[in-house]
Order: sequence, then structure tokens, then C-alpha cells
Amino acid sequence: MTLLDEIETCIPALRRYAHALLRDRDAADDLVQDCLERALARRHLWRGDGPVLAWLFRILLNRFRDGRRGARTGATLISLDAVIEPTRHGGQESHLALREVHEAMGRLPDEQRAAILLVAVEGMNLAEAARVLDIPEGTLASRLGRARAQLRRVTGRPGKRSDDRQDVRK
Amino acid sequence: MSGTNPIDDDTAMRLRHGGQAAHAKLAAHAQDDPELSETLAHWDLQDAALRALYNPVAEEPVPARHKDVLRDAEAFRRSIPRFARMAAAVALLALGGAAGWIGAQIGPSAGGELVQEAFRAYATYSIDVAHPVEVSAANGAGLTAWLSNRLGHPISPPDLGGRGFHLLGGRVLPGMNGAAVLMMYEDHLGRRITLYVARQPGQPESAFHFAEHDATQGFWWVDDDLGCAIAGNLPRDTLHSIAISAYDQITAT
Repeated sequence: MTLLDEIETCIPALRRYAHALLRDRDAADDLVQDCLERALARRHLWRGDGPVLAWLFRILLNRFRDGRRGARTGATLISLDAVIEPTRHGGQESHLALREVHEAMGRLPDEQRAAILLVAVEGMNLAEAARVLDIPEGTLASRLGRARAQLRRVTGRPGKRSDDRQDVRK
Repeated sequence: MSGTNPIDDDTAMRLRHGGQAAHAKLAAHAQDDPELSETLAHWDLQDAALRALYNPVAEEPVPARHKDVLRDAEAFRRSIPRFARMAAAVALLALGGAAGWIGAQIGPSAGGELVQEAFRAYATYSIDVAHPVEVSAANGAGLTAWLSNRLGHPISPPDLGGRGFHLLGGRVLPGMNGAAVLMMYEDHLGRRITLYVARQPGQPESAFHFAEHDATQGFWWVDDDLGCAIAGNLPRDTLHSIAISAYDQITAT
């Protein structure tokens, strides 16, 4: 399998990550395109160590951060309807309301969202995700802790001692 | 609650995302700790919700423009062999310092040349059944002395037996800076790899680089005035570990 083939197999995961990160279809597609162009232009500099996917994620995140620095916007809270079908909610505790989780994700700081998506959706372990994010594992662990605690508050499933929030919406 | 110490959130997070063994350990702790157990259950719900939200994008067809950029790169890659020599010559003559758009294809300047020579040697000699090498490994120290002598720099063929490859022997080739040497190895399946070494006086030490050309892949580096390139038609991970081993042995001498 050539490097180009490997890059191609990574595109669905890159799209998934970019869309979840940016929450805007057009911007996410642009980010993936930008990432691919960069990767291809620099593939002679790739050292060939480790998975191609991790290398591509690092490029994508760098471009994402550059873009965020350029246009200092908050997380986008629109385009919900494009992303989610109406929430089915049986009143059971078996799942969280997707719409609320999506909204909560939008309120997370960029770096927390970037971190939790790597482990929860992309299935990376702590070491892999820390390398991709270029931060120490301990930093990542506490960042994930803050992200999960925030999600838990906003989705109305408070931990034992913080039942001052509303329950899952009825 | 039993005697186990409660686990703080940071530790729980490390265990939760630390691989299977860590995950199992965490689950064991949770049996004695209802609060932890509840937290873990909620994290599972979070993960399930996030996957349900965002995974569908990965199931969609890939937009055409993403594929186009890959196809363009592929077409460019395939066009290299035909125009390589002419373009390189033209670039060198006409553009002087801006030499080597071809080099950018597989490696920056010096590395590009090194890799081209190494891949060409691999393509030429690795397929030769009867005479893959000029001097056989059976000559032992004689081979090492001959290669070092012709290269003008001490070189001892690395032992790649740990990676399943034994030395067949070596040969001398014309290189950009005098004679270059090629060492060839084979595994029990008859798969061959080559190690190309050429003098690169004054070249700065380089990082480890990956290169590929059609089905041939390789790694190259420059160290101690020597440019080295491993080439083969093997999975990249395999070649990478072979290259690391060769690098370690060559720099140790």
C-alpha cells in the first residue's frame, strides 16, 4: 500500500473529526482539503514512523489552530438541524439527548473539544491522543476531565452532589 | 465501601483511556465505589452520544475534491520517471539555486539524489537471480575491507539477522561523489532489500526520511558524511525497523 493509498483510507476519519471540531460543513470540508494538500506537498518530509492517520491528524489540528488564531470566533452553535435528526427520547437513562450533547460540545473550549473527540470518537488511547495533540499525557487527562465534567453538567446528568441542574429534558 | 482507596478523576481518566489492562483495573475499582461506577457509566453514555452524533459523516461519500487532490499527486508521481532526467538537468542549468523540483518529489536536494540512486540500484540488482552481488558475503572481512576501501570511508555491512534478513554481499557503483556501495540482503521468503551508501561530504546530518517510488519504499538519512538509503518492497513498518537497525549499527562504527 503506498502512502497515497494510506492517506485516502484516512479521509473518512479526517472528515468526521473536522466536522465535529468545526461544526460547519463547508468549513470542515475546507479544513480537510487544506490538510490533504499540506500532507501531499510535504510527504517527502514524512518520517514514516507511526500511523499515517496520526500524522494527518497533527497536520489537521495545526491548520485548525492557525485558522482559529486568524479568525477569533467562538464555537459555532448553528447548523444543529443539519447535524442531528430530532432526538428520540424514551425517558430512559440508556442514552443522552444528542441535541444537548452537540450543544454542550459547542460550548467547550476548542482544545477540550479536540481532546475528547480523539478518545471518544476516534478511539485513541491517552498516549496516542497526547502525541497527536502534542501535549503531555497528564495535561490531556486533566483536559479530558474538565471536558467530561462540563458535558455532564450541561446534559443535565449531574453527579451525585450537584443536583442543582435540571434533569434530562422531558 | 471496602478498603480500596478511592480514585480521583485524573487517575480514573488515565485508566479509562490507558488501554485494555488499565480499563479492566478501573472496572475492578468501580465495583467497590458506587460513585465511580456512576461516573464511568456516564462517560460511556457520553462516548456513545458523541459517536452517534459524529460518526455518520464518516459514512458519507468522500467529496470529489478530496479525491482529486490525491489523484493529482498520483499523476505527478507517475510522471516523474519519464521526465526526471531532463527536468533535473533543465532545472539545474536554468534555475541554478532553485534546483530540483524533482528533488521535492522524494526528498530535499541531496536526499533526492541519494534516494534516486538508491532506488535505481535496488530496481536494477534486486531482481537479478544469478548475480545479485559482485562480491559474496562468504568473503567475510574481505567484503568489508573492499567496500570500505572503494567507498573511501569505513563501512561494515550491518547485521540484519534480527530482522530476518541475511547479507548476500555487495557491489560498487558509480556515485555522485565517487564510488558508492550497495549491500544486498535477503530473507527466507527470498525478499530482498538493499542498503545504498554514498559519500556526502559536507552534507549536514539529516533526520530520518521516508521515500517511495512506485512499489519501492525506503528510508534515508545522512550522518557523518555518509548518505544511506534502505530500499525494498516491504511493508513500511518492517522497512522502518530495518532502517533503524542499520542506522544504529552504522553510526556506532
